[in-house]
Amino acid sequence: MQPTKTVKAGVLALVLTLLFIAAWELFWRSKGFLPTYNDDRALWAAERKEALQPARDATVFIGSSRIKFDLDIPEWERKTGEDAVQLSLVGTSPLLLLQDLGNDTAFRGKLVVDVTEVLFYGQNPAFHLSANEAVSYYQKQTPSEKLSDQLGFALEANLAFLEERRFSLNTLLESLALPNRPGVMALPVFPKGFEWTTGDRQTYMADMFLQSKEDIAFQTNVWKMLLMGDPTPPVEGEVLAKIFQEIKTATDKIKARGGRVIFVRTPSSGPLYEFEAAKYPREKYWDGMLRSTQNEGIHFADNQTTGGMICPEWSHLSRTDATIYTRELIAELRKKDWFSSSITIP
Amino acid sequence: MLFNSYSFVLFIAIVVGLHYMQLPWKLKKINLLLASYLFYAVWNPPFVLLLWASTALDFFVGRKLYVTRKRHQRKVLLALSLALNLGMLAFFKYGNFLLQNFVTLVSWLGFDYQPAAPDIILPVGISFYTFQTLSYTLDMYRRRSRPETSLLDFSLFVTFFPQLVAGPIVRPTELLPQFKTPRQANAAQFTKGLLLLSLGLFMKVVLADALLSGAADTVFNAQQSVAMIDAWLGVLAFSGQIFFDFAGYSTCAIGVAACLGFHLPENFRYPYAASGFSDFWRRWHITLSSWLKDYLYIALGGNRKTEGRTYINLMITMLLGGLWHGASWTFVVWGALHGSFLVLERIIRKMQRQPAITKEMNAGEAVVARASLLPAFVYGKRFRLVFSMLLTFFLVNITWVFFRAADFATAGRMLASMFGITENGIAVLPTIDMIKVAVVTVLLVATHWAMRNSSVSEVVAKARWWKVGIGWALMLILIVLSQKSSDSFIYFQF
Repeated sequence: MQPTKTVKAGVLALVLTLLFIAAWELFWRSKGFLPTYNDDRALWAAERKEALQPARDATVFIGSSRIKFDLDIPEWERKTGEDAVQLSLVGTSPLLLLQDLGNDTAFRGKLVVDVTEVLFYGQNPAFHLSANEAVSYYQKQTPSEKLSDQLGFALEANLAFLEERRFSLNTLLESLALPNRPGVMALPVFPKGFEWTTGDRQTYMADMFLQSKEDIAFQTNVWKMLLMGDPTPPVEGEVLAKIFQEIKTATDKIKARGGRVIFVRTPSSGPLYEFEAAKYPREKYWDGMLRSTQNEGIHFADNQTTGGMICPEWSHLSRTDATIYTRELIAELRKKDWFSSSITIP
Repeated sequence: MLFNSYSFVLFIAIVVGLHYMQLPWKLKKINLLLASYLFYAVWNPPFVLLLWASTALDFFVGRKLYVTRKRHQRKVLLALSLALNLGMLAFFKYGNFLLQNFVTLVSWLGFDYQPAAPDIILPVGISFYTFQTLSYTLDMYRRRSRPETSLLDFSLFVTFFPQLVAGPIVRPTELLPQFKTPRQANAAQFTKGLLLLSLGLFMKVVLADALLSGAADTVFNAQQSVAMIDAWLGVLAFSGQIFFDFAGYSTCAIGVAACLGFHLPENFRYPYAASGFSDFWRRWHITLSSWLKDYLYIALGGNRKTEGRTYINLMITMLLGGLWHGASWTFVVWGALHGSFLVLERIIRKMQRQPAITKEMNAGEAVVARASLLPAFVYGKRFRLVFSMLLTFFLVNITWVFFRAADFATAGRMLASMFGITENGIAVLPTIDMIKVAVVTVLLVATHWAMRNSSVSEVVAKARWWKVGIGWALMLILIVLSQKSSDSFIYFQF
């Protein structure tokens, strides 16, 4: 290799790469995209630490995606003066997360468990994958990974294109939506405005999603396929009793250490709610679970305000409604002496 | 620490910054040594103790081995070094495997023995640095080179971070002399190092992880038989993934070392263009195969004894080579297959050296005899090369099934799917994954074919600088676009 040749090539490569990055970032920003965080195991592990050492009094939330959309963390923190530690995982049953906290003797705090029946009682191993991966990553995280994650968060906070589920090479290729052979199960790529995640793991739907009828229709079709299309019957008998027992064992452990646990059922609406109510009747799967595990619960349908809430794509609240839901949830929790301070902040 | 991580970018920037400051060479070596320990410790700090133990053991035993004249004493020292080095490897890497096999054996004999499952963590890269230090001890025993007098240089030889956890496995004579004089890369060497680092990351992040690993995982993790096309694409995906993953690491290691002014040996030379298994092992994981040849195969007698003994030596070498990769019988079978193909190739070559067709006939008769069997082009040199390359690639892919499958049931299911023995195999690969695997595999094989007698340096030297710059930029852009889809290197577990 001639000496100057590689140097010239290197300079050209650097310039072209930087130009591409700048153009790519500006392109997506011009389309309305802002920097958000990858809602991955790294962000989860960073938040998991907060469950043990919050800066102040805190409530930990576990569940699937609904509580991530429906709990407005700034509103929660403003109204309660306490932290909200969001450990829910999208598309995932929180049972493993509940067991993880139950087995962690250092956890003695307050825990809210959100129930989305299709995932909570679902027997598909895929519903536990993300939880397994996240807990394992947290437990085995190396110092190098911790440093990399912190550097990654700093970059993600400033660069919009660093959102893997929207702009990575694989997502862009999968967006081509080529037809598959019969029987091949491939997860659809969600609309780019659907899931935006903040540094404290709150998720929300961007205006570009809420304003797009096509995107909303696409997303409801996704729920029809993923949530309503599951042909397996709901769990019953011994399997259900075993799940109840696992819940009770984990929650008893937390309560025995001085912690508190409460279950919530966040809103869903339209055909999806009708499907859920029919497949998982409330008396058996909500009231029955609370009775059997001796836990308290807050069901959205029992509150006049939240009972009538409409989810734009049947499953999650818009950010505006999330603020209202959060206020109502706080009010319900206050009735149960959830907060150390009884002062109500307007 | 992974090359494909943000922490490595910060780490290497600091290390290079310190390396190019106006400091005494000894201080720079201390900087490199501390950086190497840090590089290893940020994965699991306590395991640095193993590195220290290995370093101290081989430094002192090696020197003693060289100076001691008494044969018996030398054998005791060698046995001590081998027992401790291989003992550590056996405990950490093969402890679970040995226990499982012991339990199976006693249960077969009718005893009910259920020990508690041991929770042994495998120290990353232990197979690599154990072999590296062993080569020093064995060289001292054979008095092939003089013992190292500087503990600092020897520690750096054992721990040099670019190649510490996944090779290339470096011989003492290759690396130790490089620590004797101050080393810095000039601008051209430095940028060449960066180019190799970029190429290695491109192979790992884009090709292995983003484009191929998904298809390989989907097929090999399927709980039932898959369709024939899926099985083949899954194996081809793994074939590409393992090459890009491992060769990517080696390329990064060579590039990082070059940025610091050091030279590391080549570890891959376009192996999928190999025209036979002996050629394959001259191109795949070259530093391991040459280690096995020098310290095991030749020590066993190599090909210096009878033909039968040569075959046995080949088989022993490849079986142990298989076991080096992982504590599982599937790796042993992988090694056995490679050993068998090497033996078979040797037999065929031997037969070809005494061809009946030319022995008994004159040239004209031979041509007529051949033509009556096969068209003339079949005997062409190029045709034979292409045929043997494709046959080797095909057989290597068969062996990868055992390398990748978690157990024999999976391997059996995969082979049955690949050869159409199973009916009703399910389709599992999305169309986009099939396209990704097909495109990358064709490009991979074509590139290996085109480059089989060349190197990256030669290609870059012939190309116009702006073409190199554009190609380099494309690799960097694709790395950036691949984002976090990358994971740790497969060979770390070995």
